[in-house]
Amino acid sequence: MKGSTTLAKRRQRASAICAAVFLTPVIILMLVYFVYPIIATFANSLTRWNGISPEKIFVGSYNWNKLIHDAKFWKAFGNNIKVMAISLIVQMPIGILLATFLDAGGKKFNIFKIIWFLPLLMSSVAVGYLFHYALATNSGIFTAISELFGGGKVDLLGNQGTALYAVIGVICWQFIPFYMVYYMAGYSSIDESLYEAAIVDGATRTQYVTKIALPMLVPTIKSAIVLSITGSLKYFDLVYVMTGGGPGESTELMATYMYKESFSKYNMGYGSSIAGGMFILITLIAGVTMYVMNRKKED
Amino acid sequence: MAKKNTAGESGKKNYGAWIAAVVLSVFWMLVTFVPFSFMVMTGFKQKIETIMYGAFHMPEKFYPDNYKGVITDPTFWTYFRNSVIVLIISLIILLFISACAAYPLSRFKFKLRGPIYFLIVAAMSVPMHVTLIPVFNMTINMGLYDTIWALIPTNVAFATPISVFILTGFMEGIPKELEEAADIDGCGRFGRFFKVILPLSTPGLSTLAIYNGVNMWNEFIFAFTLTQSESNRTLPLALWNYQGQYSSNTAMIMACLTLSVLPMIILFIFMQEKLVKGMMAGAVKG
Amino acid sequence: MKKKVIAAIMAAAMVVTSLTACGGKKPTVPADAAGSAEAGAVESGASDAAAPAASTGDDKTISFWNIATDEPDKTIWSYAVDQYNANDSATSGYTIDQVATVNDQYKQKLSVAMSAGECPDVYLHWTGGPMREYIKSGYAQDITAIVDELGLRDKYNEAALEQCTVDGKIYALPVKNQSVAVVFYDKALWKDKGYEIPKTIDELEALCDKMKADGITPFALANSAQWTGSMYYCYLVARYGGSEVITDAYNQSGSLVNDATKYAGDKISEWVTKGYFPEGVNSLSPDNGEDRALLYQGAGMMLHGSWQVASIKSENPDFYENLGAFPFPQVSDSSADQTAVLGTLGDNFLSFNCTGDKLKEAVKMAAYYASDEWKQLDIDNGNLPPLKGATSEEPAWKDIIGIIENASSVQLWWDQYLPSSVAEVHKSSTQKLFDNSESSEDVAKEQQDALDEYFSENSGS
Repeated sequence: MKGSTTLAKRRQRASAICAAVFLTPVIILMLVYFVYPIIATFANSLTRWNGISPEKIFVGSYNWNKLIHDAKFWKAFGNNIKVMAISLIVQMPIGILLATFLDAGGKKFNIFKIIWFLPLLMSSVAVGYLFHYALATNSGIFTAISELFGGGKVDLLGNQGTALYAVIGVICWQFIPFYMVYYMAGYSSIDESLYEAAIVDGATRTQYVTKIALPMLVPTIKSAIVLSITGSLKYFDLVYVMTGGGPGESTELMATYMYKESFSKYNMGYGSSIAGGMFILITLIAGVTMYVMNRKKED
Repeated sequence: MAKKNTAGESGKKNYGAWIAAVVLSVFWMLVTFVPFSFMVMTGFKQKIETIMYGAFHMPEKFYPDNYKGVITDPTFWTYFRNSVIVLIISLIILLFISACAAYPLSRFKFKLRGPIYFLIVAAMSVPMHVTLIPVFNMTINMGLYDTIWALIPTNVAFATPISVFILTGFMEGIPKELEEAADIDGCGRFGRFFKVILPLSTPGLSTLAIYNGVNMWNEFIFAFTLTQSESNRTLPLALWNYQGQYSSNTAMIMACLTLSVLPMIILFIFMQEKLVKGMMAGAVKG
Repeated sequence: MKKKVIAAIMAAAMVVTSLTACGGKKPTVPADAAGSAEAGAVESGASDAAAPAASTGDDKTISFWNIATDEPDKTIWSYAVDQYNANDSATSGYTIDQVATVNDQYKQKLSVAMSAGECPDVYLHWTGGPMREYIKSGYAQDITAIVDELGLRDKYNEAALEQCTVDGKIYALPVKNQSVAVVFYDKALWKDKGYEIPKTIDELEALCDKMKADGITPFALANSAQWTGSMYYCYLVARYGGSEVITDAYNQSGSLVNDATKYAGDKISEWVTKGYFPEGVNSLSPDNGEDRALLYQGAGMMLHGSWQVASIKSENPDFYENLGAFPFPQVSDSSADQTAVLGTLGDNFLSFNCTGDKLKEAVKMAAYYASDEWKQLDIDNGNLPPLKGATSEEPAWKDIIGIIENASSVQLWWDQYLPSSVAEVHKSSTQKLFDNSESSEDVAKEQQDALDEYFSENSGS
């Protein structure tokens, strides 16, 4: 790299070269691990293929027509929307609250930080096992609480009306710590001198948080929202471990539905169109959200 | 570094709010700690106990054989070693290339910036399972099938979009003036990246190290798809020894899970120090 | 200084990453690519058939995939591998490489490998719908001639071998257990309470009412896995309308929307309403043994596969002493065969994806699972191997053997018999009977619709 020069054009070109060097590894990874598979997925979605045979039969838009009229897919999409909405409503505020508390407390609160972070450290298999028992009808925590107050047994996972919400609750439990550390990282980049200046001006801690810190956290919150949306719309793990989509289809998500079609039902062609549909819907929702959030900034 | 004003001191006015906050904090501590503690305790139960009473039940008597069984199993340590190797190499590569990519995306203006950023977000929308077959094919063609090295590219690749996305946002928040000051000192773009941006991104990088580290440690879909010999498996597959076609040994599984999570807890305790406020000031001085 | 070192590592890492990427850029069509990539390694003589096979590893290694990840399965399955490698390797030049994957993820791993043309030489499956897919895709070879040459036909239980046969050709060998669904009960408890084994559904219902009055949950069922509850449905259909109901539907000569499925669905709904099943039945998990737990804690009876004998023996020896079994009760005024059992005579099966000498050697290895020594090993571990003359001295097994011997036919579990896409619908729809969220007619219709869709999509090929 040559040193800086006064010519703006030269400088711009140097920027472009520098950007290219810095971006190359990631772009190659993206092309190989995301672009190529997603193109292959779209290609497979035009075939009837059991996923194992060397033979694929071209069927044109058959799978896509089926997808558009598939009530199970749209039910799964609706379930994903519920996961997304509840994740946003529950995880974001609690994550911010916990991070704010830890930020205020400093090192003294390390023990809180470590224990609050435990859920994210545990694998989904562990979380699935534990909450299967925690939510169980016979020896679960909720049944115990209910019986303490003279109520009957509580069946959360076996009831089609509550199973999805029970699983979403567990998902929130697992992911709140992620947003907690994420917001903590956001707080940590706020200049300490701002706080000192605010205190000198006679502000209380609460005023500092609401008037200064939170507004500075907005970009972090926006990124967190995008992460939460994409994460919830392609969510798979705990549903697969805890309910497998049941009872009935009450907890089926797009990703578990796709998995079943592709690997259990030997409908890789149709599974691919579900994956393609997922990809389009998620990109669309994430894109619109980012557009809306960034437009507001410009106002 | 020491913070003069913690909330406790300024608390005279809102004593009540402070108590409420502590009560809620302790409540939340229970919510997060109770399931974890029962995971540890269930590891001390006999199989029949977990079958009869589930996990949320005090052990009838202390039964350390499960933990002993896991620790004395040589395959556990093989898996453990593989996991450590895969984790360290993947994490280093991931953090470096993500930071590299986030730097121009957050601070340069160039034509392809928009499309590349879109590519990153779109990649976050790709369901992981559709990549299984293409990745399997590639792994075979590269001759990496059934080696632990096969897991490094996948670990890195699937953590990249989210990492670049987070770091880009983080780097956008670093004041321009700091970089310009370095520019005056005669640093080129690469120099600025290593001397200013990278150190200032420590909280973001730590967050990513923690989050992705945990994910890589627990990753099992590619681990079982791309390896087959016992000598090349990673820790999440250690559970298989206790899972059969028709039944599984919950107590052993919990013991195994508990031992698997310990290194992550230690990593977190170590890394979370980097998340403390004040990094910025220190970095600028240095 | 430190930074420079890190930078150097990073640079190296980047090179590795980009190399990786180059390798992967080849666009691949599964079978061909695998074939050409391995072209140097594949022996020409071993790949003369149309099979899209190209196994991993060199051509003198027979790769063998199964699900023996825990004990006692490890011991049971390793036997033939160890025997072959010790006795036959030296003369044949082949060695067996066994790979165990946990049951939950096994099918997916196998699918991915097959799609890449990397199907193992010998692999475990459960026959039925998936086996037909494997055959259709060219991953299961006809072994009839080798079976006859090695004189294996006489060793296996006929019905078990029948399950491996499609259009008169043998495509698989049965291995592990004679798994049939029977009703388990606690002899001590029943004696104490004065309960009698019910012969008919009417008697069963009377007994259940008595149990309810005694404060006992009649059925120990854990239905989060769905196939567990499906056993009640399949048995009720078979008792009312015979095994023909499902075979006719599969041969497209009948519909699943009929009196038998209505009877079965309505019975389950009625039993649910009467509280014969435990609370939270659809969330209880059989994988964690939660159905056995109910039985241990005093539930009335448990309809389950005969592999439960081995589980109960190992985890609860006290209870095991009083374990008994009886056949699913009969429908008194039905003309259907009332002795048929639901099950799979083999439980696990092996198919072969190699040709020539290698295929023969692979079958030879599998033949160790028909030897007398292995038979005893399997019996000692609480199983009943699908071999002629297999018997067991275990009291619970004696009951079960009586049921099998008395049975005129064996009906494969629906979720294995049906094409996989229909099987999934069968499982999730019947689960809805257990919380009364769907009527028997709708459940039957849902399954029939899935069958219709399967046939319309597969009529061309």
